[in-house]
Amino acid sequence: MTAPAGPAPGAAPGERPSAAEAPAPVIELHGVSVGYDGRTVLSGLDLRLAERRIGVIGQNGSGKSTLARLLNGLVVPDEGRVLVDGRDTRTDGRRVRSEVGFVFQNPDNQIVFPIVAEDMAFGLKNLGLPKKEIPGRVAEALESFGIGHLAERHSHLLSGGEKQLVALASVMVMRPRTVVFDEPTTLLDLRNRNRIRDAVDAMAPAAVVVTHDLELVSGYDRVLVVHEGGIAFDGAPGEAVAWYREHCS
Amino acid sequence: MNTSLYVPGDTPLHRLPAGAKFGVLFAAGIGLFLLAHPAVLGAAAAVAAALVLSARAPLGALRARLLPVGVMLAVLFAATALLQDAGTAVAMLLRLAALILLALAVTLTTRPADLLEFFERLTAPLARVGVANPERISLGVSLVLRFVPEVFRRFQEIREAQAARGLKANPVALLVPLIVRTLKAADDVADAIDARCYPPPRRPSGGARTEENAT
Repeated sequence: MTAPAGPAPGAAPGERPSAAEAPAPVIELHGVSVGYDGRTVLSGLDLRLAERRIGVIGQNGSGKSTLARLLNGLVVPDEGRVLVDGRDTRTDGRRVRSEVGFVFQNPDNQIVFPIVAEDMAFGLKNLGLPKKEIPGRVAEALESFGIGHLAERHSHLLSGGEKQLVALASVMVMRPRTVVFDEPTTLLDLRNRNRIRDAVDAMAPAAVVVTHDLELVSGYDRVLVVHEGGIAFDGAPGEAVAWYREHCS
Repeated sequence: MNTSLYVPGDTPLHRLPAGAKFGVLFAAGIGLFLLAHPAVLGAAAAVAAALVLSARAPLGALRARLLPVGVMLAVLFAATALLQDAGTAVAMLLRLAALILLALAVTLTTRPADLLEFFERLTAPLARVGVANPERISLGVSLVLRFVPEVFRRFQEIREAQAARGLKANPVALLVPLIVRTLKAADDVADAIDARCYPPPRRPSGGARTEENAT
């Protein structure tokens, strides 16, 4: 399903200086349909995602999170194909996931080791990084988010904002080319929401951010509105948010 | 709730490799059960206590960990003194105290990841004969350490939500939503593990991603 309305998505990279370091991978969806328990969640999607900052908005149950999970192969389509730089998520999922990181809504379910530094190291071990390189990479990633002091802390004792930053750092330490966020600010207070917003804005990889926070996507290159299993609007942030407010509120 | 005994630090015990610490603990465990002289056992307990203190753990944390053990030892001591004799009870008390304090010194100063890595190495021969997968065992243990506090937190949330609506403590009413929420969270955790490219490559370091190809 292609978007019926909206201007052509802007292809220019965002104005964030650090975001222009590496080319974003091109993610393509060809005739993608997904369903659960006999219910169609997404139907006939055709998309090409190449911008550095893409927002995805839509009502609860519209299929936003399923779309996000399709992008790094956590969900594979029932019909159609998802390609990341030409690699099929169905057959090359591991490689795709090393290129496309994923930050979940609830960091409590994403942080899998009891100590922060150990959790950060988990992804690097899975990438097969030599053991001696891991502590340096972990320290560097934590410092880049200003949370180096949390390295030896017990992850379950952190605040909500600290947990979400650790979850983000644990993805970023793997140096993905794109990071997909599934409602990263939903559980956060205003201060921590702003910390995550700033971290996303400043990071080098491309980002696809699924969110209910309409202000979050205001400076993005492109915003998709997911509605009733398809892309109802695809365009610039202001117009996409206006369409969403008019049709879905 | 904190299930991990590790206390971050940079003491000599912290710097000692996990394998060496467990080797000493294993040998001490055998030695303590071969010894029976109260003076020797007392000296061992004193050394073990000194090692625990050398870990520089907060005293509050030590008290919380040692209090239940102290109660258990007191009950065992009383029972042994009643059923056998005072000499045997003293030896038993000193032996168990020394062993427990040594184990505490090891766990206070060993990061869970180092502990798991040590057990991975220890169980590696089992993988070669196809009996077990040490990486999976290690990840499983880690998940238990990580998520027991989460399950406890969910339990408290459910209990508070039910109490707020006037429902008295009821095991079924507590367990059913707890199990459902935990299973849902388990799905998310499995996704999170997949998303971070688990499992690691089989090759120990050959073919590992270098700085260049990791970016």
